[in-house]
Amino acid sequence: MTINIVNLIVSILIATCLVILQETMSNMFWLISVDMPVSISNFISTYFANIFAMNFSGAIPLVALVAVAFLIAFLVAKILLNWLDVPKTYAYGVAGALAILSLVLLMPLAFYNLDILAGGRSILGKSILTAFGLISGFYFGRTLEKRII
Amino acid sequence: MIKKIGLFIFGIAFAYSFFANDRTYKYEVIAEDLSHPWGVAVIDKDNILFTELSGQLRLIENGVLKPEPIKGVPEVLFAGQGGLSGIILDPSFEENRKIYLAFSSPDSGQKTNTLEVISAKLSSNSLDEVTTLFKASPSRRTAAHYGARMAFLNDGTLLITSGDGFNYREQAQYLDNHFGKIIRINTDGTIPSDNPFVSNNDALPEIWSYGHRNLQGIVVVDGIVYENEHGPMGGDELNIAQASKNYGWPAITYGKDYSGATISPFTKKDGMEQPIKYWVPSIAPSGMTFYEGKMFPEWRGSLFISALVPGDVRRIEVDKDKVKKEEILFDDVGRIRDIVSSPDGSLILATDGPNGKLIRVVNK
Repeated sequence: MTINIVNLIVSILIATCLVILQETMSNMFWLISVDMPVSISNFISTYFANIFAMNFSGAIPLVALVAVAFLIAFLVAKILLNWLDVPKTYAYGVAGALAILSLVLLMPLAFYNLDILAGGRSILGKSILTAFGLISGFYFGRTLEKRII
Repeated sequence: MIKKIGLFIFGIAFAYSFFANDRTYKYEVIAEDLSHPWGVAVIDKDNILFTELSGQLRLIENGVLKPEPIKGVPEVLFAGQGGLSGIILDPSFEENRKIYLAFSSPDSGQKTNTLEVISAKLSSNSLDEVTTLFKASPSRRTAAHYGARMAFLNDGTLLITSGDGFNYREQAQYLDNHFGKIIRINTDGTIPSDNPFVSNNDALPEIWSYGHRNLQGIVVVDGIVYENEHGPMGGDELNIAQASKNYGWPAITYGKDYSGATISPFTKKDGMEQPIKYWVPSIAPSGMTFYEGKMFPEWRGSLFISALVPGDVRRIEVDKDKVKKEEILFDDVGRIRDIVSSPDGSLILATDGPNGKLIRVVNK
């Protein structure tokens, strides 16, 4: 039980860090496209600043949003696994992907169609974020399967 | 002896508190229970036009609010930050009764909308000869960041602020769209031949300046165009706007995104203009006026910027492109959406929200 909770927290943190990576990438790549002098050190320092700021000084702590989305998605996956015979890695991977995708799609409904996560405005951005959710969910499913072995 | 000293100290304290709280002004409520008052245009001391974001154009006639809104206002999209917004009188209003309105206009049959500016002739209680002068392109899906303020340049051309639409912020750096721009048109909707980008085939010819976010106040003083704009979290700006100039948003900014993310780590770049003042944290600047009245001689020559957060007015002493002093005033009436000067020297405030008020600031 304790190990599961730790793994859940780790998967939430992985997802949060990946979402922030996408946010940072989308801003930095656009700045590069308009000839702003973005250096690797700019990129790294901005990424770490974002990890702090998006969790502690934004309008809503990102990690809390991801945690709520993952808890709901993983709970549904756990219930469905009682009837479905699919590997846990796939089930939780899909759950993680849907959790992040739901977050990106539903947040604008609460804010007059405004995308609070700027990195999720484009279809490419949404796809990348969804893939990051899949990776995080996959990680969680894999930890569960390892324990069964 | 101790009693006398006590009385003396009490007297000093009383006198100090009396004079320390002594303001030179007082408030007079002109109208209340208003539905999101947004833009105010003063015809004369007792006749005032103002917009309500929910779509009504209202008139205070001889000091009394007419109960019925003025008819003939086009349909507006009242959602989010959208609705009936900016209003300005024609420089020759006394002769031609012409006004200009800026609002969020729904695209028929679609989920998109855009910033639209119309001119119309004000009759007794209706708008006639309504003509569309400008529609921002392309349309947006969001109901935010319209800008929607207007000012006249000395040559009679009309400046319109067009916000970045929130989700489209990068478009402020490109000249093929109207997001994050100041637009300049003639009062018949045609494009002045001396606009800065008319000969640029890759640019929309109405564009006058670019790289703006959500411009909420604009005034022209002795030919100098002052404009204020909302930053994101922090980075609200007061700029001197000039033709063809790039004001940098979102490539340079002093603010952060609402998520907390860094939009840009840069605050300066060659070829991008710096604000003459910026605010971190945000004050959410809204309307702006330049005061030249006689009622408050000590305030003459100041810019007044109304602010929504926490709700006050910033009196800014400027010397062309230098800010000499900032003073916070009127911080006890709530969020202030607009501020205008009245010909009698008073100032008129529009407070924000579903129970907004128009308040006149007069001397005691």
